[in-house]
Amino acid sequence: MSEIASREAVAPPVPRRRPRRRDETWFYGPAAMLIFLLAWEAGVAISGIPELFLPRPSAIVVSLVTLFATKGLAYDTALTLWRIFGGFLLGSMIGIFLGVLMGTSRRIFATTDIFVAAIYPVPKISLVPLLVIWLGTGDLFLIVLAALGCLFPVLVNTITGVKQCDPGLILAARDLGASRAQILRHVVIPAAVPAIFAGLRLALGISIILIVAAEMQTARYGLGAKLHLAGQILETGDVFAILLLLSLIGIVLTKVQSIADRFVGRWRAT
Amino acid sequence: MPAPFAAIAVTRLSHTFESRSGATTLALSDVSFEFPAGRVTSIVGPSGCGKSTLLLILRGLLAASEGEVRFLYGAERQPGPPPRMATVWQSFNLLPWRSVLDNVAFGLELGGMGRAEREARAQDAIRAVELGGFEKHFPGQLSGGMRQRVGLARGLVMQPEILFLDEPFGALDAQTRLYLQEQLSALVERSGRTVVLVTHSIEEAIFLGDLVMVMTARPGRVAATLEVGLPRPRGLDAQKTPRFGQLFEEIYGLLRDEVRKAMLERI
Ligand SMILES: Nc1ncnc2c1ncn2[C@@H]1O[C@H](COP(=O)(O)OP(=O)(O)O)[C@@H](O)[C@H]1O
Ligand SMILES: [Mg+2]
Repeated sequence: MSEIASREAVAPPVPRRRPRRRDETWFYGPAAMLIFLLAWEAGVAISGIPELFLPRPSAIVVSLVTLFATKGLAYDTALTLWRIFGGFLLGSMIGIFLGVLMGTSRRIFATTDIFVAAIYPVPKISLVPLLVIWLGTGDLFLIVLAALGCLFPVLVNTITGVKQCDPGLILAARDLGASRAQILRHVVIPAAVPAIFAGLRLALGISIILIVAAEMQTARYGLGAKLHLAGQILETGDVFAILLLLSLIGIVLTKVQSIADRFVGRWRAT
Repeated sequence: MPAPFAAIAVTRLSHTFESRSGATTLALSDVSFEFPAGRVTSIVGPSGCGKSTLLLILRGLLAASEGEVRFLYGAERQPGPPPRMATVWQSFNLLPWRSVLDNVAFGLELGGMGRAEREARAQDAIRAVELGGFEKHFPGQLSGGMRQRVGLARGLVMQPEILFLDEPFGALDAQTRLYLQEQLSALVERSGRTVVLVTHSIEEAIFLGDLVMVMTARPGRVAATLEVGLPRPRGLDAQKTPRFGQLFEEIYGLLRDEVRKAMLERI
């Protein structure tokens, strides 16, 4: 027995975290960006395009710093982030909850699917007039709008994830004595996590779009509001500065999401 | 002291699957059988004859359309509640997001056992299947043979009085399979547990079994029951004995026509 055992069984445990090999193309992107910015800077300086039309990158950075230092942009940023995350969390939590219900109960699915089919395709930005009538133009309106936008992608992905759960895993859990609630908690929901995360990723993007767009239409504070204002008074430097800030926020959030993805899906890394 | 578990008695069991579209499949037909305690009963039959269905019904995970399963206790063979049971699956059915340790401890966790105790017990089970050192690994990082040993440990840690195995080595390569058969054989001999083993390998059915139940093509019925009668402990050389060859031929003779039937039906 031991002879065969040594062949099959006792490979030394592989280290859990292999040192990842540094990809030697990692600096291509940053280098390309740097060259692009330098060309922009030089192009504007040489051609004499007016600042009103296209400011230089260095001027945009100065505008951004000035906005933070003297015009209270930190408050607008905090406000916008709160609205984005408030809507995202509210909509996602409802989406996951309803998704688990709809994915596990055929009756609930049969009853509610028609509502999902009816509301999902409506562009959520078109709900602004109605929501303003009902909720005014405050934070509640913005958060509800973003929540509606986040709800459906999370809901639909959760339903798919829950339905795709391997029936063999459920049988195994039942064999080990799992109750219905335990099967849900320990098997069905964890199995749906990759799909739920895909939905959350979509939802966060949607929340950013909806909040900034609605702020441009209705709000007095917030990045969207400031962006709209800067455009109206032809402060092109401020417009670019706020766009730069939104881009940075997007980059950070995407990065955070992929770290969360990798952490939650670490069992898939072999 | 409660009377010891004596047998699983199956009477006139039939099962029909009904699909959503209304099509029905008669998977089992009128199966009566007794699985004696403390022995290994192998079930062989052509694929699709209802072996897995029978196992699920015995385990209580599927309600049979007709017939009954009773668990008998003591010399008087009094029916009683089901004893502790555990199942090992062909496709392993490990939770891929749980480590080996957490997979093996899963059943104990579901039963509400505290972390320290369940992990200690899981450790013992993991060592018993020679997987010490792999506790922190995820199933996706293990070979098929190692995954099935996790499956075995996950069942054994529940200290089942009856162990069900549904083609446990069917997904493994020949050498791994041979090795695990030996390991399982040794384990069964040590524990004296009641085992019900479904397999499509005649050799495996004989090598591991005390009894072999041969099933017909679908709808599955009992074609014959054979006493293996080979001495234990059995080593690989058991397969070279005349008794083994004789059993093999007998079972193959019973199965050949059934396999042909099952094959033709699928065309
Ligand atoms: N859940 C199910 N729904 C419908 N038909 C099923 C189901 N499970 C098994 N069957 C059918 O019942 C028959 C017996 O299946 P099974 O017990 O898995 O056979 P075996 O394990 O002997 O290969 C097969 O024809 C199979 O297609
Ligand atoms: Mg089967």
